[in-house]
Amino acid sequence: MNKNIKKYWKSEIELTDSSKVESLRNNEFVEKLPVDDILSDKNSLENSNTNRRDFLKYLGFSTSAAVLASCEGPVHKSVPYVIQPERIRPGISNYYATSMFDGYDCANILVKTREGRPIKIENNKLAKFHGSANARVHASILSMYDSARIQGPIHLGKDISWDDFDTKIIEKLDLLRFSNKPVVLMTNTIVSPTTSKIISSFTEKYPNVTHVEYDSISESSVLDAHEMMYGIRAIPYYEFDKAKYILSIGADFLGDWLGSNYDADYAKGRIPVKIDGTASMSKHIQIESNMSVTGANADSRIPISSSLQKLFLTHLYKKVSNLNIQLPELDDKLSSNLNQIYDDLISYGSSSLVVCGIDDIHAQILTNSINDLVKSKCKSTSKISLLRQGKNKKVTDLINKIYNQEISGLIMSGVNPAYSLPNSKQFSESLEKLDFSVNISMKMDETSSKCQYVAASSHYLESWADFEFINGEYSICQPTIKTLFDTRQPEECLLKWSNSSESMYETLKENWTTNILNSNDSWNKAIHDGVYSLDKKVNFNNNSIDVVNSINALIKNKTKNFELFLYSKIGMGDGQRANNPWLQEFPDPISRVSWDNYLTVSKKDAESLGLKNYNESNGALNSNYAKVVLEDEEIKLPVIIQPGQAIGTVGISFGYGRTLGVKSEMKTGSNAFLLYKDFSKLQDVEIKPVYEIHEFACVQLHNTLMGRGDIVRETTLELFNTKDKNYWNPIPVVSKDHIETPVNKREVDIWEEFDRSIGHHFNLSIDLNACTGCGACVIACHAENNVPVVGKREIRKSRDMHWLRIDRYYSSDVSFEDDNKNKDNISGISDSLTVFGQMEDPNENPQVVFQPVMCQHCNHAPCETVCPVAASSHGRQGQNHMAYNRCVGTRYCANNCPYKVRRFNWFLYNNNDEFDFNMNDDLGKMVLNPDVVVRSRGVMEKCSFCIQSTQAVILKAKNEGREVDKNEFNDACACSAACSTGAMSFGDINNKESEVYKRKKDERVYHLLEYVGTKPNVFYHTKVRNIDKSI
Amino acid sequence: MGSHYEAPIRKPLVTGNKSYHQISVDVARPIEGVANQKWWIVFGISLILFLWGIVCIIYTISTGIGVWGLNKTVGWAWDITNFVWWIGIGHAGTLISAVLLLFRQKWRMGINRSAEAMTIFSVIQAGLFPVIHMGRPWLAYWIVPIPNQFGSLWVNFNSPLLWDVFAISTYLTISLVFWWTGLLPDFAMIRDRAIKPFQKKIYSLVSFGWSGRAKDWQRFEEVSLVLAGLATPLVLSVHTIVSFDFATSVIPGWHTTIFPPYFVAGAIFSGFAMVQTLLIVMRKVCDLEDYITLQHIELMNIVIMITGSLVGCAYITELFIAWYSGVEYEQYAFLNRATGPYWWAYWAMMTCNVFSPQFMWIKKLRTSIVFSFVISIVVNIGMWFERFVIIVTSLHRDYLPSSWTMFSPTFVDIGIFIGTIGFFFVLFLLYARTFPVIAQAEVKTILKSSGDNYKKLRDKK
Repeated sequence: MNKNIKKYWKSEIELTDSSKVESLRNNEFVEKLPVDDILSDKNSLENSNTNRRDFLKYLGFSTSAAVLASCEGPVHKSVPYVIQPERIRPGISNYYATSMFDGYDCANILVKTREGRPIKIENNKLAKFHGSANARVHASILSMYDSARIQGPIHLGKDISWDDFDTKIIEKLDLLRFSNKPVVLMTNTIVSPTTSKIISSFTEKYPNVTHVEYDSISESSVLDAHEMMYGIRAIPYYEFDKAKYILSIGADFLGDWLGSNYDADYAKGRIPVKIDGTASMSKHIQIESNMSVTGANADSRIPISSSLQKLFLTHLYKKVSNLNIQLPELDDKLSSNLNQIYDDLISYGSSSLVVCGIDDIHAQILTNSINDLVKSKCKSTSKISLLRQGKNKKVTDLINKIYNQEISGLIMSGVNPAYSLPNSKQFSESLEKLDFSVNISMKMDETSSKCQYVAASSHYLESWADFEFINGEYSICQPTIKTLFDTRQPEECLLKWSNSSESMYETLKENWTTNILNSNDSWNKAIHDGVYSLDKKVNFNNNSIDVVNSINALIKNKTKNFELFLYSKIGMGDGQRANNPWLQEFPDPISRVSWDNYLTVSKKDAESLGLKNYNESNGALNSNYAKVVLEDEEIKLPVIIQPGQAIGTVGISFGYGRTLGVKSEMKTGSNAFLLYKDFSKLQDVEIKPVYEIHEFACVQLHNTLMGRGDIVRETTLELFNTKDKNYWNPIPVVSKDHIETPVNKREVDIWEEFDRSIGHHFNLSIDLNACTGCGACVIACHAENNVPVVGKREIRKSRDMHWLRIDRYYSSDVSFEDDNKNKDNISGISDSLTVFGQMEDPNENPQVVFQPVMCQHCNHAPCETVCPVAASSHGRQGQNHMAYNRCVGTRYCANNCPYKVRRFNWFLYNNNDEFDFNMNDDLGKMVLNPDVVVRSRGVMEKCSFCIQSTQAVILKAKNEGREVDKNEFNDACACSAACSTGAMSFGDINNKESEVYKRKKDERVYHLLEYVGTKPNVFYHTKVRNIDKSI
Repeated sequence: MGSHYEAPIRKPLVTGNKSYHQISVDVARPIEGVANQKWWIVFGISLILFLWGIVCIIYTISTGIGVWGLNKTVGWAWDITNFVWWIGIGHAGTLISAVLLLFRQKWRMGINRSAEAMTIFSVIQAGLFPVIHMGRPWLAYWIVPIPNQFGSLWVNFNSPLLWDVFAISTYLTISLVFWWTGLLPDFAMIRDRAIKPFQKKIYSLVSFGWSGRAKDWQRFEEVSLVLAGLATPLVLSVHTIVSFDFATSVIPGWHTTIFPPYFVAGAIFSGFAMVQTLLIVMRKVCDLEDYITLQHIELMNIVIMITGSLVGCAYITELFIAWYSGVEYEQYAFLNRATGPYWWAYWAMMTCNVFSPQFMWIKKLRTSIVFSFVISIVVNIGMWFERFVIIVTSLHRDYLPSSWTMFSPTFVDIGIFIGTIGFFFVLFLLYARTFPVIAQAEVKTILKSSGDNYKKLRDKK
């Protein structure tokens, strides 16, 4: 055999005389190294230049040199796809339909993913029930890439494996079951049919477990009233688009009231479209104590305290129902308002809608009754909203049981009661004493840190779920990425603990195919669409109600001190997303303050308490503090003097004052839940001024329009219908040879025009009638364009980086119209000083207007001419380009921008510990849009009309060999895509079919600061108010 | 040029019985002598300020412009204020040497050397700001139209900032050449007097081999005249172009056609004030009272008074035009300047620039050295405020009230400004010890006509 083995030889000698080679190989060093000789020769050793110390030096040097030489940059291993997944192409976005519900927000959404990585939330337009993403939902994507997330299950503060975790929990649950000790499963509202099933099978397995739904901000009074009157525990389904007359008593329905999502329907009724020369729009009266976004949008706003609101409601009910009952009198002004409102309510009849945000079952009963009496068609008789389920009584019972150690175990999911309960301290202590406590949570938050077991929960973008927000309107939530960490969604935990071998996906699919889907509908299509509709109707009972009892209960109420009305801010909601820097930096639509909550006080009360707001030398807003005392609870808050705040009332927003599970920068504000006693947003509190200084981060330091009606044009419905356009929306004129010439005439233009009729020409239309100021566009823009978060300190220096801002102006007189008149009537210098001096301050009950402002993409851009290096130049499609890598940062363009929309990178905002937000860690950076460059310091940046997306749309159409669809561009711009009210519409005006072209022809169109001659590509629609002088 | 007859009623421009030799001795004294303690103290302070300025600049460039007090609304403040202020100061030199040369104003001879030196040193300070105010100053060369391989990138010739680059670099070049030309015979004089070989070597180098031949003098006169002719339009153009930075913009308060003449008048105003400040000190310290006489000071005071009044006229015109224009933004911009949050800056400017020079109508005051010195300082402060008022008060409340905010400087803003003052004085003090601070060759030409001893001799006849 051996002979058959092939022998490989390197040289001839090896072949012929292999022994020689062998000996050579064994003797690598031909001569023996004279080690011994050298070491034994003492003389030469001693005379040698290289002594021991030198040797060590050389050794040290060469070792370290070798080490240094071998050092390279860190090796990032990237593993290419072995098999290219279908439809995932580098550089092309994939969209997946999904939906979300976190106990507070709900939305049907599309998730934009790049290379398998979700980067942005968009609205799912297939959804019948809008459920459009608000600012918080848009920002929720960043919460997935939150470095503060728990990355695996934890037992008593130690990481353990899921197997051990499950074993321990099941053991414990079995133990409790056999000894029949009560255990409670406390979750947020469950609107998921499948989750409900899972929970019921869990409680079947463990009969000692009871399920309690807990809403951190309770809507129990609405649910209770509905249950009592109609036999169904649900939220009425309001259809604001059908309403011609809206009376809201303390209901912030454009904010977070009842889970909201009313803005799109509301806006539909707010746009005056002329049919046969006359336009109609809904009329909206808001009676409230705090200035809410809803109040800011109302045609008339009556600021009164909640106790007066209750009285007003009883009077209204009395009039509508012709009830003979003695009620305390209203004052003259209110009773004349009452008469007017009553007349309108009756004359609008079934087109009118009354909504009420007072946390009182009796107020809700009266509201429902009024709607029923006027036969309002805007309150659905077949649909209900299931967004809130919590029952105050049940929750209170549970909490008391926990306090009294009457239960042994508590499993929590989606809630954070140690933060959101008024006596959170007592709760935390009791929680620690429990025999068994589990929290299924994404964060090591206030509750998790007191629990024995913390199950790391997945983000909704990593989960399977289904929801039924409105009866019959189903949504599916599908994962868009594999879990980033070793986490599990709550349902999976419950399944595991009930010893089920099924995964959530299997359970979901089974439930849908057997119980939900019609036989001829496909499961795959349902997932693809993300939504599924069934024609499900509910039947309402008509229980008889003792209205007089309700009235009596309502009129009894009187507050002694200040009336506190707790509300939630659009930025922070109930505080779940406190660790989200986008939301922290999001300026409140009303106060324009970011990174804080505060006590809103009326000017009059602030004066009598000696509280002040003032500006520092660099403009930054400062304030005093106030102590808010409620029984034994006391919190200290800074003060914002809020125009439109009803006298004798104060407001504080929920969602702030988080202490655990959030980065130190995000530990902002104070926890208002401490004052949320008995789940009532209305509290009777004492206010004590504290003369310490608080530093606010407010992005808008001047609140009034200074009579500059040209900036926000508005008119009344009456004038809009009766007068010529030139009366209420004239084109500004400039002097040309001493003749007034409209500014859009060619002869007053010193620039050469090029032909803009070829190719695409982008315009953005903003309808001030439809814009509610919700701010979804602000966050969408933030996400799309990698806008940096700069933090409170920088915002205080007026260095916010938002490319899109929503300016909010208050009128100085009772209306903006009066402001304009006052300014026009100025005569002489001293008068102008007085009038302008007065105009600096907003009115006590001002009119409010929102105006989104981003780069106006001027066709004659002042920024373009002044840039010495031509970094800012004009695009063929109408955009004003900004070449970041050409910019040297002279800031001349920003100075010369009349709209002040350019934003300078004052510092390096990424990879910088000074700005420890999402762009400073690898996880947070995953949300960055790879199509948009992250700007370096020293560079100017601004809105680009999302050029990366418009180009993608063009390329897509080109690849598919077709023209761009008429409204395809609308979804390319982050802001117009995010706008659920249709206030923004983006597109190509060279396409005569497009929506934006049609809107450009509207007679309400005007350009911002048109007289400057910048010829912007953004245009606004004059705001039309349906004003009633009598209110 | 010189020995024309001068009327007896004209005051002598050289006092103290000077002979030609005496002039040489007087001018060469600071160079040949040793610096005294006072010089070292002042130099030391200036150097510290300069070094602190460098620290602040390094901090800015390494960290970002965010270390200044600027914000989204006010994109320029102290940086460009300082820039315009220094450029304005740099105006007097060329005006004195070129325009007054063409107008045969002999009193310029005593002061033109230092005025020109001041010009060059302040233009150096001014030139710093456009570079360091950039977000990415390491790319500053991009604003120069040099052929490059970045593609077809070219500068934007529409931008006034680019015009600035040309205007200032031209101005600096011409001023430097003009200054040096005038220095040649004086350097040669020092060279000829020098004993130490090193000194001799240096001064022979810088005097470009001046030999004092008639041909040299003829060329000298011709070049001076040609350069004066070139420099005169620059006096008008530099600050006109600087004013275009603002005038061509669309911001109310900046967008003003009056800016070019207004800026030029202001520049001459501030330039003369700075010359006054420096020379009043220098004539004392360097014993040059005989060459920079009360007559010089008085004449400069008159220029300050006239230009101050011109500036005041411009301020009032601005207010009038704002009202007359009927543009509400324009009207508000000026109302806000005078009565808004920065009213104190506006009235500081008004007081310093318009009211204070009016004292110069009184002969007693304009011939008082102490008073002249005080006013010159006041005017410099006022002119700094003028630029601050124009830049900051126009920007901080422009069109959309939602963007209105305030500006407040940080220690870095202040540090860099102080640093340039230090740098300026470092240069000026070094100059005062190494350069002939009086144009002695020129002064010698008027000694026979305007020296007091010769005048007296003539008048006795």
